[in-house]
Amino acid sequence: MRLLEFQAKRLFSEHGIPVPINVLLGSSSNLENLPYPVMLKAQVPVGGRGKAGAIRPAADANQAAVVLGELLNTPIKGNLVRAVLAEEKVEVQKELYLALVIDKLARLPVIMASDAGGIDIEQVARERPAQITKRYIDPFIGLSDYTVRYLAKRIGIEEHVRDFAKLVYSLFGILQRYDCTLVEINPLAVTSNGLLALDAKIVLDDKAGYRHGDLFGKLKAEQTWPGKDGRSRSEELAEEKGITYVPLGGDVGMISDGAGTGMLTLDLIQDAGGEAANFCELGGFGGKESMQQALEVVLANPRVKVLLISLIGGLTRMDEVADGIAAYLEGHELAVPLVVRMCGTQEEAGRARLQAVGIKALDDLQAAIRTAVETARRS
Amino acid sequence: MTILVHESTRVLVQGITGRVGSFQTKVMREYGTKIVAGVTPGKGGTMVDGIPVYDLVEDALCEHEVDVALSFVPARFAKDAAIEAIESRIHVVVLTTGGIPDRDVLTLLNYATIKGIRVLGPDTPGVVSPGKCKAGVHPDRVLKQGHVGVVSKSGALSYEVCKLLTEHSIGQSTIVGIGGGPLWGLTQREVLEMFESDPDTKLVVMLGEVGGTMEHEAAVFIEQHITKPVISLIVGRTAPTGARMGHAGAIIEGEGETAESKISALRKAGSLIARDPAEILSRIQALGV
Repeated sequence: MRLLEFQAKRLFSEHGIPVPINVLLGSSSNLENLPYPVMLKAQVPVGGRGKAGAIRPAADANQAAVVLGELLNTPIKGNLVRAVLAEEKVEVQKELYLALVIDKLARLPVIMASDAGGIDIEQVARERPAQITKRYIDPFIGLSDYTVRYLAKRIGIEEHVRDFAKLVYSLFGILQRYDCTLVEINPLAVTSNGLLALDAKIVLDDKAGYRHGDLFGKLKAEQTWPGKDGRSRSEELAEEKGITYVPLGGDVGMISDGAGTGMLTLDLIQDAGGEAANFCELGGFGGKESMQQALEVVLANPRVKVLLISLIGGLTRMDEVADGIAAYLEGHELAVPLVVRMCGTQEEAGRARLQAVGIKALDDLQAAIRTAVETARRS
Repeated sequence: MTILVHESTRVLVQGITGRVGSFQTKVMREYGTKIVAGVTPGKGGTMVDGIPVYDLVEDALCEHEVDVALSFVPARFAKDAAIEAIESRIHVVVLTTGGIPDRDVLTLLNYATIKGIRVLGPDTPGVVSPGKCKAGVHPDRVLKQGHVGVVSKSGALSYEVCKLLTEHSIGQSTIVGIGGGPLWGLTQREVLEMFESDPDTKLVVMLGEVGGTMEHEAAVFIEQHITKPVISLIVGRTAPTGARMGHAGAIIEGEGETAESKISALRKAGSLIARDPAEILSRIQALGV
């Protein structure tokens, strides 16, 4: 889960990382007592907000009312704006970049700093990689003072090294304590009063939510005002039930029992001249219930003309997912043709159960895909 | 010889009394895998399918010699179980569990490196050398003993490809699932290196996907060190940017993470490229292995 700026800044404040004075605004907020002049920042979980017109200045309450009216309920990169953060305008001497992230291949946390802050860091990485300083952090040693001095020297803020050290240690503490996969400040401003986090990006590891009490749930609830613009019933259902679902726009609905085979199935649907309506997979431990839920999610999309279920079980037991399909059919009238490809663990039992509800499972993936694509074309 | 597991490999199953663990243990035994012991805290002294269960890995090791620890332990307890296996110096630790917090995976992988233990996974179907040992959950019917080495991020994709090969009488030396990421123990590069020096493996099929940059590392290694033919299939050609395609590792963000960029790097490195499993088959048939 990516936190919104105001949530990340709240965490920053709680852990001693200085941020500008700010106030969260909704449609009925009082604009009289804001710390003018302010920047009004749309709270959407996407990068490049400045260029997208989502960050705008306001000198007084009248201007703020106009800008707020323009920002609220407007889609920005597919996200409807439901809240705006008003923030004091700050005199900036220098903009830096600072982030802690898990390097997947090195399997280590890495700290990255640059004196090229405030701009797209991926562009800096491509064009001027030497301008980004990286240091790996040994998980058994933790952050070292010398690493902080090293970074401060490389990005040219030695005169602020004490402030910087405090900030870097706090940032590392947040990474560890909240199971973050990314903590980023871009830009980190040097001002006459010291360092200040002008933006804040935090990505939490959803897999670790269980060990943070109700924190992740509360943060999520703060974000789930009717989120994305035009979000479909399928997407809402998928989120509610915790099913992996990606809408794709075509008419061949797809459910698979593994991510890799699901992606293969999508590629092959396209190769066969069809267009997939979605990606949806059960994950390795998929059983009866997750199959039932996946069927509900995918079939809630009115564009689906045929549903292809692509199964090759290892951990997933075919008898269990067949039970899920049968249970769904008991409670629902199927509006579109169903093509099932089934093989793998407990496939004989799975086939028998499908046979009992009038479904003949195919064994060959290519044949199943051809059947599904032709069915969609004919209907 | 095959890699990681062979005829005489002895397997210990962690989480053997759970729903998945007990079922898969039975399936592996029927396949012929030498499962010598199981561990579930609090269940010591019981039996699963004739296999003795212990409270602690150390208790099991007092009675049995073990080469591979295969874990079905749920995500919340998976790190603890892995650390126990690593400290017990079991040389290969296979983590089938998905959904383990990244911080836990990071800790256990770094600890394994310090102790010199190989970790496969997490979120892996495991490893199988057909006809010899299955320390994993691969469906039996897709397996056939032979000389094609397979390394895959996705379990199901490896079953898909092996099914087709087996149906056409092309057997496999070892099938290694490295897991869905986003953090991995053994990488494609390390498995390629093992296949290169394995006399039973004549060619390698590498199954990758969008997301991450591991295939680029593999490409560099193929170019510099691999003499055996490599056939690569990267799935997710049609995946939209920024979407999470089921595997935690399969989010396309940077430019190097697309299927396209991986395919072109692998092709440049001298790997043969297949668009789908059928092309893997035809390329192997053309090579005459």
